Amino acid sequence: MPASSDPPANQAEPHLSRDRQRVPGGEGLPGEVTLAVTLPASVALHARPAADLVRAASRLPVPVTIAANGKRANARSILDVLALGAVGGSELTLSASGLGADEAVRALAEVIAGLG
Amino acid sequence: MNQPADLAYVGLVLVSHSRRLVEGLAELVGQVAGPDVTIQAIGGAADGSLGTDPDRVLEALQAAAHEPGAIVLMDLGSSVLAVSAALESLSDEQRARLTVADAPLVEGAVAAGVLASTGADLGEVAQAAEEARDARKL
Repeated sequence: MPASSDPPANQAEPHLSRDRQRVPGGEGLPGEVTLAVTLPASVALHARPAADLVRAASRLPVPVTIAANGKRANARSILDVLALGAVGGSELTLSASGLGADEAVRALAEVIAGLG
Repeated sequence: MNQPADLAYVGLVLVSHSRRLVEGLAELVGQVAGPDVTIQAIGGAADGSLGTDPDRVLEALQAAAHEPGAIVLMDLGSSVLAVSAALESLSDEQRARLTVADAPLVEGAVAAGVLASTGADLGEVAQAAEEARDARKL
């Protein structure tokens, strides 16, 4: 799922922190990328919203980890995501590494913003 | 290419000693897996009491034993006998389309259902069901 290159004008650019490291033997591979995103206020990460997120994550080129409530989840695992117990309005931190990590976390953030 | 939905998505066969339990589970899994994943819920003895109904188990397995295959999940080890007996009545080709997952019924079905809804193949869905054995919820 491609991320849009232009975020809507009325939304602040999500804070994307990038830790670029030179991986031995892997020229130019990026290090871990993290992105904070907030769940819509009316959407808790249970049942259908969680499944929608997991399906979207399964189409991304790299695995994405979601951190919330002091727990971490593989975004491709429904049981992991459900165990986060993330309520509406809570902050999720997405992280990924490798080629395509930037696009992956941005794409997933977009999906999360549209859940409901 | 237009395909009927059940040719593209791995299905689920849920087997329990309780009809109410398994029908409730099918409803829950249906909500997370969406309409493309065929779920058969088999529970209770023929007279409606707790137990297993071999005829209905066999019917369900026969109905599910086509491409791209189906995962069979059970509530307790005592359901294994009913499922094994039914499997013996199937052809080799039918048996090859079914994988019995050694997994907790609820968590395995949810994990399998969601993965099946992504179009994953039989092996991948079976693996997701079995990974549910180690999943923590707290």
